[in-house]
Amino acid sequence: MVRHLPTPSIAMSVTSLALLIAQPASAETVTLGIGTQDTTTNTVTAGVVIRQLHLLEKYLPKDGKYANIKFELEWQNFTSGPPVTNAMMANKLQIGMMGDYPLIVNGFTFESNPESKSRLIGVAAYSLSGSGNGLVVHKDSPYYDLADLKGKLVSVPFGSAAHGMVLKAMQDRGYASDFFQLVSQSPEVGSTNLQEKKIDAHADFVPFAELLPFRGFARKIFDGVETNLPTFHGIVVRTDFAEKYPEVVVAYFKAVIAANQWLRNDPKLAAEKIQEWTGISKEVVYIFLGPSGNMTTDPTIKPALIDAATTDVKVLQNLGRMKEFDPKKWVDDSYIRKAYAEMKLDYDAQLASTKNYEISGEDAFCKKPIADPRKAGEVWVDEAGIMPFSSASCTLGAYADFKSKGKKINVAYVFDTTRGIKLFADQAFFAVGNGDVAPFLLKKDAEAYAAKISGKVLGFEDAVKAAVGGGKT
Amino acid sequence: MSSPALARHPEDSMPATAVAEAGSAPAVTPPAPPVSFGTLALRWYRLNRAGLRATAIGIISLLAFLLVWHLLTTYRVVFFVRFTNVPSPLAVYASFTKAMHDPKFLMHILLSCRRIFIGFSLAAIIGVPLGLIMGRFKLVHEIIFPVAEVLRPIPAIAWVPMAIMLWPTNEQSIVFITFLGSFFPILVNTLHGMSLVDPVLVRAAQCLGARERSIFREVYFPASLPHIFTGLTVGMGVAWVSLIAAEMISGQYGIGYFTWEAYSLVQYADIALGMIAIGVLGLGSSLLIRGAGQLVMPWRST
Repeated sequence: MVRHLPTPSIAMSVTSLALLIAQPASAETVTLGIGTQDTTTNTVTAGVVIRQLHLLEKYLPKDGKYANIKFELEWQNFTSGPPVTNAMMANKLQIGMMGDYPLIVNGFTFESNPESKSRLIGVAAYSLSGSGNGLVVHKDSPYYDLADLKGKLVSVPFGSAAHGMVLKAMQDRGYASDFFQLVSQSPEVGSTNLQEKKIDAHADFVPFAELLPFRGFARKIFDGVETNLPTFHGIVVRTDFAEKYPEVVVAYFKAVIAANQWLRNDPKLAAEKIQEWTGISKEVVYIFLGPSGNMTTDPTIKPALIDAATTDVKVLQNLGRMKEFDPKKWVDDSYIRKAYAEMKLDYDAQLASTKNYEISGEDAFCKKPIADPRKAGEVWVDEAGIMPFSSASCTLGAYADFKSKGKKINVAYVFDTTRGIKLFADQAFFAVGNGDVAPFLLKKDAEAYAAKISGKVLGFEDAVKAAVGGGKT
Repeated sequence: MSSPALARHPEDSMPATAVAEAGSAPAVTPPAPPVSFGTLALRWYRLNRAGLRATAIGIISLLAFLLVWHLLTTYRVVFFVRFTNVPSPLAVYASFTKAMHDPKFLMHILLSCRRIFIGFSLAAIIGVPLGLIMGRFKLVHEIIFPVAEVLRPIPAIAWVPMAIMLWPTNEQSIVFITFLGSFFPILVNTLHGMSLVDPVLVRAAQCLGARERSIFREVYFPASLPHIFTGLTVGMGVAWVSLIAAEMISGQYGIGYFTWEAYSLVQYADIALGMIAIGVLGLGSSLLIRGAGQLVMPWRST
């Protein structure tokens, strides 16, 4: 028997089970498939945290029309966005999360789906300045700036947020499209190739631009902040599912809000748990999601992000990868607004705020309160915890102090002096002179600053010695 | 040595007879051509009737496949298997015409063919002799067989990170993966062929005073040739199967990469185009091997 379905009138039942048995049962089981990207650290509060803490089960509606419906949650983990889109198109997943470029491709691909469209219903995490994406080179390579990579082999996963960053950076600097030999490599392939020095540079999305340097073989020479174009990971839903079970989508957002709360209540514990669940080192998780981190977890759909998506659409159109697509019509904030209202939270206030949660407290080494979190620093002492310090100089001083007491230090964080992004202290360049210790991501920024204060550019070890000596070289 | 000489002989004699005919009977020949054309066509048809029939049925079956595909996708049939979002043949054809105007597409295909050619040739050059030696000498078999059996089931995609680390250039890594894909089928089939050689033939050759080398050349090798060619055909197929995994490394060119990139940008028509291109190229290369098999084993050609 072949059934022809000329119109989408006979809506696809989301229950694959019902399709198999083809018998209506009194207690209906509805399978909700959620596609996550566990290793893409900035989506964890919309995915793995909810799954592991069973937050969605807590908020799922149980009365009214849901009295006889049993929800079966099916979590599927992917390493990039396109497979999520593919599974959503096939109705194996109803909710999915991915970075800005894959999201747009998702919305555009669904335009030609007769059964359902997709809508952007919320955000997992964002960076208004475009941090998170980055470009790394091998640590032994002589490249310190994009300009050094002229004619070199650079790989990036095509169609990813990082690809967008590279294209924007080239456009900003007026580089011709063949300035680099740009090739497409997935994170797995690109990482191995960089380690083996088969490629000169690899650009990637969260968490690889931090993870590879942390693993010890790479150095970040370009951060997305330099493009100043917002980047984000968002959540999309199939409209056929959302229209049939709107309360479930609302419940999902309550779970997202609860997951964010859990993360911010104890970022250290959260980082450790996320390491346990996803395999991404806790020190790397913390640089993104900890206080004053490089990503802000906030589910509200900021207009700035949608403007950025409009820019991204143009980039894809210029590449001939997409036809007409209007991101504004694709956004649907009704579910998340309802979740905020039902939890008695103010959506519009959150929407207007672009504040992250910041480092605060008392500096136990320099004995003063932390005034400016983006000039501060943190030291993660194994077993003792993460301690905040009021300045880079105090952070390095405290680091030396812990070392001399024989404590084991996991990692130390400082902030880029001009851009305010969180750095691994041992990867930073320090401009030191006249009692000033100023950390930088880029060597050239550090050199410029050092010239200004007539100081010197030092590596981490020397900077620690200089900080102990009172900031003199 | 003898067959090329035989083949050259008629070639040499041809011009002589042609000249003789042209000189002796210019008046008698004219009525002959119209008759001979018709009869020639008829004779050709009779000779190739079976082949023509197969070709005609093949074309009809391919057209039927396209038609079914077209109908399934235009009416978006859902009957357990869902064709809702599967690209239609026309959409794939549109992709195809677009790709044809893009010089890059040809580059993808050429590079893939080169990779398959090198990888497959290496696999054949190493796999066939190794299989023959393993089949003949028990010790070699005992040493190599366990290793081969452990490595054989590992899928091409799992080899990707190792291949990147093992070889200095990416091109070599890619060729290595296609090599692995075709190597094991070739080796296993050659071994199988060797195990099926009739021991009576070997003993007969020994009784006639044949030495080890002659037995190898005259008995073992020809007797296992059919299986070797089965191995080569299967190996060629698996080489194409490994292509997508292998070309994930390349990041730039190759029909496998083309398909992979289409996936990462969720372009279903291009994915289908890549699949079909791999299918057609795979078919072409298998035909080449079968042709070679018929040349090498004329006693088997039908």
